[in-house]
Amino acid sequence: MSSLAAQQQALLRALFDWPAESAAHALSAHTQGDGRRGLMAYQTNGHELAQRALAAAYPVLGELLGSESFAALARAYWHACPPRRGDLAQWGGALDQFVRDDEQLADEHYLPDVATLEWALHQALSAADQAADGASFALLTTADPASVCLDLVPGCAALRSPWPVVSIVCAHRDGTPSLDQAGQRLRAGVAESAVVWRAGWRACVRQAQTGELEFLLALRDGGSLAAALEAAPTLDFGAWLPMAVQSGLVLGARPMAPTS
Amino acid sequence: MLNAGSAPSPPGTPGADVTMVGIGWRQAHYAELMERQVAIDFLEVHSENYFAQGGASLAVLERARLRYPISLHGVGLSLGSVTGLDPWHLERLAQLVGRIEPTWVSDHACFARGVYAGNVVHGSDLLPLAYTQEALAVLCANVQRVQDRLQRRLLVENATAYLRWRSDPEHPAMAEPAFLTELARRSGCGLLVDVNNIYVNALNARHEGVEGDPEWHCRQWLDALAPDVVEEIHLAGHARVSDIQGEIVIDDHGSRVCDAVWRLYRHALLRFGRVPTLIEWDTRIPALDVLLQEAAQARSQCQALAPSPS
Repeated sequence: MSSLAAQQQALLRALFDWPAESAAHALSAHTQGDGRRGLMAYQTNGHELAQRALAAAYPVLGELLGSESFAALARAYWHACPPRRGDLAQWGGALDQFVRDDEQLADEHYLPDVATLEWALHQALSAADQAADGASFALLTTADPASVCLDLVPGCAALRSPWPVVSIVCAHRDGTPSLDQAGQRLRAGVAESAVVWRAGWRACVRQAQTGELEFLLALRDGGSLAAALEAAPTLDFGAWLPMAVQSGLVLGARPMAPTS
Repeated sequence: MLNAGSAPSPPGTPGADVTMVGIGWRQAHYAELMERQVAIDFLEVHSENYFAQGGASLAVLERARLRYPISLHGVGLSLGSVTGLDPWHLERLAQLVGRIEPTWVSDHACFARGVYAGNVVHGSDLLPLAYTQEALAVLCANVQRVQDRLQRRLLVENATAYLRWRSDPEHPAMAEPAFLTELARRSGCGLLVDVNNIYVNALNARHEGVEGDPEWHCRQWLDALAPDVVEEIHLAGHARVSDIQGEIVIDDHGSRVCDAVWRLYRHALLRFGRVPTLIEWDTRIPALDVLLQEAAQARSQCQALAPSPS
C-alpha cells in the first residue's frame, strides 16, 4: 500500500471505528504529535453531521425518540453504516433496518416502519419534476386497458405496515390526527398502508384506499392498467382516478411500450 | 486534458475592471434575498445541496440564476482521494453545471473517500492531504478528470487541516503554496484562496509548537503562491475551542471575519489584485444584513487597496 493510501485509510478508520482507541493509536504513526486533538475535531464534526442529516430525513423518528436517544442512534448508525456518497442527503436509507436490529428499541415495534415511511417522504422531496399531461387521459376512453399504463408522479411510493404509521407520522407533521388518537390506534393494533407522493414542493402522505396499495405496486412494477386492476379487484377505480389526478399522484396515461 | 478556454472568463476575474463580492446563499435566506432583490454580485451555493433530480431547492436555485451569477462550491468531490472520484458524484455535478451554468465551479484540496472495512466510504469532511509528490499526482489526475467531464476550469481551495501528517524521508512534503501552485500549473485549474483557512491553520500550528507570529506565517504563505493562478478569495469566521483535550481553532464559518483575516485579505489583494471575493457563513447563520455588511466591507477594502487592473 502506498504511503498516501495508508494515511487516508488510517484516518478514515479512526473516524468510523467506535470505540476508536486502537484506530487512533494506528493513526498516530502517520501524524505529527499524536494527532488526537485534530482527530477529535473530525470525529465531533462527523457526529454532528450525522445527527443533522438524519434529523432532516427523520423528523418524526427524532421526536418519538427524543433528542438524546436520536443523537445516540445517529452516532451508532454513522459508525455502523458510514456514508457511501459525498451527498449526505443520500445517506440514511437503511436506518429502518438498523432500528429493527437495535435491541434497545426492540419493544418499539412500529419504529422501523415509521422510518421506512419517513425515508419515502424524504426521497419524494428530491424526485424529478414532471408535469401532468391532462390530455393524455383521453387514451383511457379509447384504448384497451391491457395496452395502457398510468404515469405515477416520480417519487411516489406505496407501503404496507401492520402499524398505524400514517397516523403516527401525520400526527407529528400536522397534528391530524392528534397524538392521542394516533396513540389509541397504536394500542389497538390498527394496520395502515401508506401512499407517498409529492404535490408541488410538498411531500404528502395519506392512508391507502381499499385496494390502492396493490394497484399502485402493480403499476410501479410496470404493469398495464388492466394488470393493475386485476391485482386490485376491490379498488373503486372510477372514484379513485379523479382524486389521484387532482392530487397530483397520477400525471397521465400512455400506451404500454411494446414488449420484445 | 482540459479544453483550455472552454469556459468564458467571468467578469471580475483578474484583468476585468470590476470588483465582484458575493455571499454564501443558504436556506435561511432563500426567500428574503429574492424578495428584497438584494444587490450582490454573485451567490455561492454548495453543489451537493442541489444534487436532487427535482424539488424545491433546485427550483429556487434555477430562479436565482436568472438574477445572479452562481458559484457552485463543492465539499464532497474528494479530489485528493487515492481511491479516486465517485462517478455518481461527478455525474450529478455535471448535470447541475449543465442546468445552472455557473460562473465558477470549485471544491477543495482534500480527501474524504476511501476504503473502510472493505467498502468505499465517504468521510463527509475535508480531510487533510500530505503535500507530497504522490498526493500531487493523485490530485492532478482527479482534477483533470473533473475538468474533462465538465469541460471547464475547476477552482481548487486550500483547506484547513486539524492534524498534520508526519514527514516521510521517502516522500518529502512540499510547502502548501508550492503544492497548490504546482497543482494549478499541471492541471490548468485555478485556485480559490480561503484566507481564513490559512489563518486557522497558522493558529493551530502555534498550538502544536510552531513559533512566530501566525499573521507573519500567513503573509509568507500568500507571498509564496503564484498570483496568476488565484481566481477567487473566501473570507469567513472561525471558533476557538478549548477543552480537556487542548485548544484548537475550528473553521466553522459561524461568525464575522476577524480583524486578522481582514488584514490578511488586504495583503492578499495587494498581491493578487481585484479577485472576486466571497463571504461564507454556514453555521449560526445571522440576519442577511450581517452578511451584506461583511460583503460591503470586502468591497470597500478591495476598491481601496487592490491595484487598478492593467
